[in-house]
Amino acid sequence: MFDLKKYRKKSPWILHYNAGSCNGCDIEILAALSPKYDLERFGVINTGNPKQSDIFLVTGPVTYRTRERLVELYTQMPEPKVVIAVGSCACTGCVFRDMYNVEVGIDRYIPVDVYVPGCASSPELIIDGVVKGLEILEHKSKEMEKPFKLFKAATIDDGIVNRRHSALKVGEDDAKD
Amino acid sequence: MMEAFFIAVAPLLGGLLYGFERVLRARMQNRKGPPLLQPFYDMYKLIGKQAFIVNPYHSILGIVYFITLWIVVAFIILGENLLYIIFLHLLSVVFLILAGFSVRSVYSHIGANRELLATLAYEPVLVMMAVGFFMINGSFEISAIRANASSIIPLFLLFLTFLMIIPVKLKKSPFNATEAHQEIIGGVEVEYSGVFFEFMYMAKWLEYVFIYLLLMLFAGDNIALGTALFIGTFLLVNLVDNATARVKMRDLIKIVLTLGIVLGTVNLIGLSYV
Amino acid sequence: MTTAILIIAPLLFALAALIAPVMIRNILTILFVIALSALSLGNVFSFNTSFAFPLPNSFHELFILLDTLLLLYFLWRGIVAKNALVMLFALVQIVLYAVVVYLSPAVVSSDIFADHISSVMYLVINIVGGMIIVYALKYIESEELSRFKKNGFIAILFFFLSVMNFIVSTNNIEIFFLLFELTTLCSYLLIGYRGDELSVKNALQALWMNQIGGVAILLALVFSILEYNTLYFDVLLANIDEIYLLPVVFLAIAAFVKGASIPFDKWLIGAMVAPTPVSAILHSATMVKIAPYLMLKIFPAMSGFLSLGVTLFGTFVFFTATLLALGKDYFKEILGYSTIALLGLMMSLAAIGTPEAVTACLILIMFHAVSKALLFLQAGVLEKSFGLKYVDDIDGLVERSPLTVLFIIVGFASLTLPPFGVFIGKFMAIESISKEIINNPFYTFALIFLALGSTLLTLLYFKVVAKLFAKDVDVKPLHVKISKFYTVPSFLLLALLFVGIYMIFLSHFLSSLEFVVPLVLIVFVPILFATLLFKNAHRVKEYNCGEKDESKLGMYYFYLSDALKKGINTAAALSLLVLIAGVLL
Repeated sequence: MFDLKKYRKKSPWILHYNAGSCNGCDIEILAALSPKYDLERFGVINTGNPKQSDIFLVTGPVTYRTRERLVELYTQMPEPKVVIAVGSCACTGCVFRDMYNVEVGIDRYIPVDVYVPGCASSPELIIDGVVKGLEILEHKSKEMEKPFKLFKAATIDDGIVNRRHSALKVGEDDAKD
Repeated sequence: MMEAFFIAVAPLLGGLLYGFERVLRARMQNRKGPPLLQPFYDMYKLIGKQAFIVNPYHSILGIVYFITLWIVVAFIILGENLLYIIFLHLLSVVFLILAGFSVRSVYSHIGANRELLATLAYEPVLVMMAVGFFMINGSFEISAIRANASSIIPLFLLFLTFLMIIPVKLKKSPFNATEAHQEIIGGVEVEYSGVFFEFMYMAKWLEYVFIYLLLMLFAGDNIALGTALFIGTFLLVNLVDNATARVKMRDLIKIVLTLGIVLGTVNLIGLSYV
Repeated sequence: MTTAILIIAPLLFALAALIAPVMIRNILTILFVIALSALSLGNVFSFNTSFAFPLPNSFHELFILLDTLLLLYFLWRGIVAKNALVMLFALVQIVLYAVVVYLSPAVVSSDIFADHISSVMYLVINIVGGMIIVYALKYIESEELSRFKKNGFIAILFFFLSVMNFIVSTNNIEIFFLLFELTTLCSYLLIGYRGDELSVKNALQALWMNQIGGVAILLALVFSILEYNTLYFDVLLANIDEIYLLPVVFLAIAAFVKGASIPFDKWLIGAMVAPTPVSAILHSATMVKIAPYLMLKIFPAMSGFLSLGVTLFGTFVFFTATLLALGKDYFKEILGYSTIALLGLMMSLAAIGTPEAVTACLILIMFHAVSKALLFLQAGVLEKSFGLKYVDDIDGLVERSPLTVLFIIVGFASLTLPPFGVFIGKFMAIESISKEIINNPFYTFALIFLALGSTLLTLLYFKVVAKLFAKDVDVKPLHVKISKFYTVPSFLLLALLFVGIYMIFLSHFLSSLEFVVPLVLIVFVPILFATLLFKNAHRVKEYNCGEKDESKLGMYYFYLSDALKKGINTAAALSLLVLIAGVLL
């Protein structure tokens, strides 16, 4: 029998969310979705609706204003899903890191599968990121992660998961653990 | 037997048509576009997705919409009463509208509202078209319409109005305000996901089959003319879709309704004089 | 025989209802309504439904006396209320009536005449009207009225049934006029029943507008006596001359007044201030149903111009009344305008007069009555149990009372969608108008009005249904208890709608494939899917851009400007004048 699993990645639908970006990466994403780069040849549709999306493209460092919405949108996406952080801000916080109103990257709140660097990332990079995301999508099944896992594994007091509590932060000591 | 087969595969045919249309549109924009079987890949993916429901009514009504539409298509293939089919189609749209209103989602409500207003634009035109066929063939039965010679010449103005409502039904520019992707996120279908969205997706394919089967009625028993009409209209609709921008809901109703009523009236009055 | 019982029994029972204590009154009423319904049903299935006989002369004198008293009563009401219009029309009627009595010829035909149309009307009047009365038993108890007035309310309703049973079985236009005025009296009393300022004002409005109908009938009588020397429908129709159609056109205008067609629509809309059972009975079983009945009575006399004119006018009313309804937010008012619209359609179908159109008209009369009764009963429930009057407030009612919402949705669906009765009527209407277009291109306009109107009607109904339907994610519902007196009649009416579906199925109007297959599939397949799929489905909130705060969408209205409204009224009034002028020429 042929492997049906490989068809799962043939139809990635995209949800694009701006978590406080300067719009640079958003413009590049829209450029990548435009006819010139033709992301549709991979079956990509920009749905704008979390309930019908497989790939979550997030741009921008997470500002305080946007973090609840980010998690809300993430939980409204059905499994299996892939999160792609587009741009340096979404990956690490970039130049906004440690500012008073900004979190350090989206992976403080939701699990990220692909990090696409760049300020702003170029359409080619974004397409590469999406294609990489498709490979991950192929292996995921809907039982792999459930939205509540995010909260079950909560370790810190404010109820928000910090998946990077063991990771190094800039300017901190190594001996955190 | 042949009919039963066609009824069974009607959604699949619609899916192929939809897939081909996506390729065609991509080629018109000078790009490669998705594979032909892309809609079926989408379907396969959606089966594997987690299913979310907002409330049971909403999901059931979505399924009812799909079933009713399939029955409508089946009746066209079987050659039943055209007027009855048009009203049965209205029933299916009403199920869709109720589905849209059964959740407390603003986008769904706007979409359903627009869907309701769009029926105002195309429903009178469809009824007039049925009456036009009745005046020529003396019967509303589709089997009788198919058995007679082509009626595109005497019904030419009604044919033009019918061309105008194709984009409304298929959610194509410039008359796609009902769906208005990215503006109201697909309207009625916004709250569907996973398996339940598949029914909406297949219903979309069935709308293709429905509207193009109605188009073929203009060709009567002339199969070659029917094919030519289908291909010509298919190309035209997609060309217009690529070349125009979306008009506002208000303008949609104004344009389709006024032009449709005027052309339809002229045509019917002309028919009764001949 | 049946006719006599149907006329006299409610009259006697009205007296009984007036004096009996509440408990006994309720039980007796329910039993009596069942008996009436059984009788009218039996009449349909009996072999010889059609019969005719004259009344003795003493009856005629009694009727003349009654009529004079009634007109004097109207005049007195006008003087008491200082209402010039009521006085004017009462005086005109008195003068005209004197002329008619003076001229009245000696030729005698049968006064009582019942045929299959009458037996259909009996069904509508007694079954639907009876259920509304059962509903009214409970409703009137919650009003702030004296004991006597409460009993009187039920008594008037029964009196109304008796008058209606009589009016659909008379052949004498003079008696028809008396009964026509008696229904005006009943509606006047019922609309003003609460006795507050607005009620009295609207009751007077209904009085003078309906008197225009009386004037029209009297004029028809005068012309009929002058030209054809007769007071009887059958003689008039048998001798009708295509050149002299004045009596017919005035009878048609009387029908338009009773049917509250556009220039006369104010009285039916004003009737909304009355207790809800009154609106229900006026809109479904009685009063306005005189209009299509009268049209059905006189359609053989219509030909050519008149038939076309009435058809166009009826469909014009169908379209404009729906358009007016789109700007309304009072639930009963929306229902009221849709009644006016559908009555216009019924009258135009009766005017076309082909067997198919007449059947369509009868189907519409029956099922419109059932659906409208069902909807008005729910309007009463909304008012009494939830304190709701406006459609903007009925938001999310499905969580509080799914039953009421079910009734409202089925009621609305039965007025527009397959496979319910009114839909079949509309379907046949389109078919019969299309047949007319082949011969006469002017019918195209009737078709356009019909097509536009019926789409607008769908828009109107589902706009309201939409408001009811919005439901939150799995909220624990807070059901409100509704009295049995309210739910049982509603259930029975619902059952009647489904009996109607079965009857249409039996009539082989649509093949069983067209009819049964969709019903079965639409009901069962989704249930199958639901049981299979819902187990594994996860619940999720609606998409709201990730925002937490609620946002709500208001309902849209389509307001007509005052100038346009005035234009519609003028156009309607002018077209009636054109109708008269056209017949004169």
